[in-house]
Amino acid sequence: MELNGSLWIGAPRPKVWDGLNDAEILVRSIPGCESMEVISPTERAARVMVKVGPVRARFTGHVHMEDIRPGEGCTLHFEGSGGPAGMAKGHSAVKLTDEEGGTRLQYTVQASVGGKLGQVGGRMIDAAAKQMADQFFAAFNAALVEAQPEAQAVQAAQEAPAQPAATQATAAEVAPASAVPPGPTAPTLATEANASALSVPAVAAPSPRVVRPPAPPAPAPVGEGVRVLWFALGALSTGFGVWIASLLSR
Amino acid sequence: MKAAAFDYVKPRSIDQVIALLQQHGDDARLLAGGQSLLASLNMRLSEPRLLVDIGGLDALRGISVQGGQLRIGALTTHTEIEGSALVAQHAPLLSAAAPHIAHRAIRNAGTWGGSIAHADAAAEWPACLLALGGTVVAHGPKGERRIAADDFFQGLYATALEPEEVLVAGELPLAMPVSWYAFGELARRRGDYAIVGMALTGRRSAGVLADTRIVLMGVDSTPLRARKTEALLNGQVLDEALAAAVAASLRAEIDPLPDLTNTPETKRHLAGVLLQRLLNSARA
Amino acid sequence: MADLYPIRLTVNGQTHQCSVEPRTHLVDFVRETLGLKGSHLGCEHGVCGACTVELNGHSVRGCLTLAVQADGGTVNTIEGLSRAGVIRDLQAAFVQHNALQCGFCTSGMLMAAKELVEQRPDANRAEVREWISGNYCRCTGYHAIVDAICEVLQQRKAAASLMEAPA
Repeated sequence: MELNGSLWIGAPRPKVWDGLNDAEILVRSIPGCESMEVISPTERAARVMVKVGPVRARFTGHVHMEDIRPGEGCTLHFEGSGGPAGMAKGHSAVKLTDEEGGTRLQYTVQASVGGKLGQVGGRMIDAAAKQMADQFFAAFNAALVEAQPEAQAVQAAQEAPAQPAATQATAAEVAPASAVPPGPTAPTLATEANASALSVPAVAAPSPRVVRPPAPPAPAPVGEGVRVLWFALGALSTGFGVWIASLLSR
Repeated sequence: MKAAAFDYVKPRSIDQVIALLQQHGDDARLLAGGQSLLASLNMRLSEPRLLVDIGGLDALRGISVQGGQLRIGALTTHTEIEGSALVAQHAPLLSAAAPHIAHRAIRNAGTWGGSIAHADAAAEWPACLLALGGTVVAHGPKGERRIAADDFFQGLYATALEPEEVLVAGELPLAMPVSWYAFGELARRRGDYAIVGMALTGRRSAGVLADTRIVLMGVDSTPLRARKTEALLNGQVLDEALAAAVAASLRAEIDPLPDLTNTPETKRHLAGVLLQRLLNSARA
Repeated sequence: MADLYPIRLTVNGQTHQCSVEPRTHLVDFVRETLGLKGSHLGCEHGVCGACTVELNGHSVRGCLTLAVQADGGTVNTIEGLSRAGVIRDLQAAFVQHNALQCGFCTSGMLMAAKELVEQRPDANRAEVREWISGNYCRCTGYHAIVDAICEVLQQRKAAASLMEAPA
């Protein structure tokens, strides 16, 4: 599946680039995105609930950025699994140039979808991808416009001791607290997200309302502990191996 | 593959159906004929918690002429439309299109309302509804409302139906002596979804065309009206030269999306071929 | 989550009262609960035709029909239709024309063909081919199946005209 697109965003190039790298903005822009984790400056892990017609497929995937030219563009390699529904993988190239007081964003996507979705939905993949891309950029555009005044609020929320020892606090966990108007608690957020996700496909023109994901449970501290454990096991077994080797070589 | 487990309920009234939709939201799905829904569930492309079977709502069945319109209830099966004398008389486009829908066993169960609400861009009924300038009748918490076909199909599998609305009928204007129509599909095998399909309608008086509608199936995320090319035909008398010119206009007008086995160029070419064929056979 | 749903239906002339999981397909119900293995599972999404059974007088895909949807209805499978009538004539013709090898598609083919013979008694060869295009066969190459169906149509037309002929 191949997709090309080009759009003009009414924001300066550095801001657009920052937006594309901002997990919080991405979570709000990707249709059906439930969470996004920053694994490294060039890697993201995301969970996206894809809704097209009757299909509901939850994809967990990885995005890896390459050929990064800050402010100008990069290549994204992605792959994801949708459970029994199938899998997707591919790459996309994004290029930013200045244009008329804003930024021209050009993208190309090449992807293959396998499994049931690919077999059965093959005839609709292009239309679905195009629709998701259109929804993404409409939401991204709106999020960029909103991001400026919120930058301070996000900062403040990050500094608050919300999540213990989360060296990799997912930006998504922070975003809903600051970006959503006061009142709704997490369970209501979920309903809101579903409701707006449902109506987004039906809206032809980009709407100022952005899909807000529910705050996911905090996996960071647990994940961190598990990683430390694996590291310790690795160190131990390496130490053991070295010791055995030294014994055997006597 | 077997579907994931779900609960099932068969309400006796439309108000019960709407209440269930309000209560369960996206966790519930409506079941009419189930020929598209159950296929998705079997492949686990969707795992709803509850299926609401509207098959018990007899008010949604039947074909009748009411108030100058042909009213086809949502639960009317494709086979019933295929065999209906009322449809043959008042909306013969549907009689021509019906045999193209999948195969007989599917037509025996699949429904008019289900197909239109599902809004597959390559399906026959959405294109026919649009070509005939029909109206969707929907029933929701605020009561009944009518939605013109031109406003109904909004995106990929997306319609103007609100989440708690049920499509209860589709209405079509009655064919007049001056009405003409043509229908065709190009597919790899009989019964496949169209690579390109077309529904043509309009009026013809002393050979002069008016009110032409050209609706394409399978080239976009919704059934697609080729308005520029429609305008070329209006006021003209149909002949071979016009058919060729109009086919060229159609090829230039559309920007088809590809699918797994057909490039945009293939679809573009086939759209022109189909239009020419249908126009030439309409002359005969 | 899924409570069992009570259903009552007639299958091959016998009434059954059971409780089923709502997600149970009609074809799985007749095969597993009732032991009627004549209907087969192929693609499980409606395209191959191997699961075709008769519900309330019409052929349907057993894999795209829930058993709960058949509540209160009448189902006929190949086992119930083989004793007489259209199916028996078709079966004789199938055997004569070698229209089956592994037999997996055959029950579905017969159900489809039965409906054709009943609904389109004047069908020509092209129409027969179109009608059964919803039933896949991997063994025979289809010609023998079409021959068999055409023969039954021919026999019935001949019988009908014999009956109309003046004494």
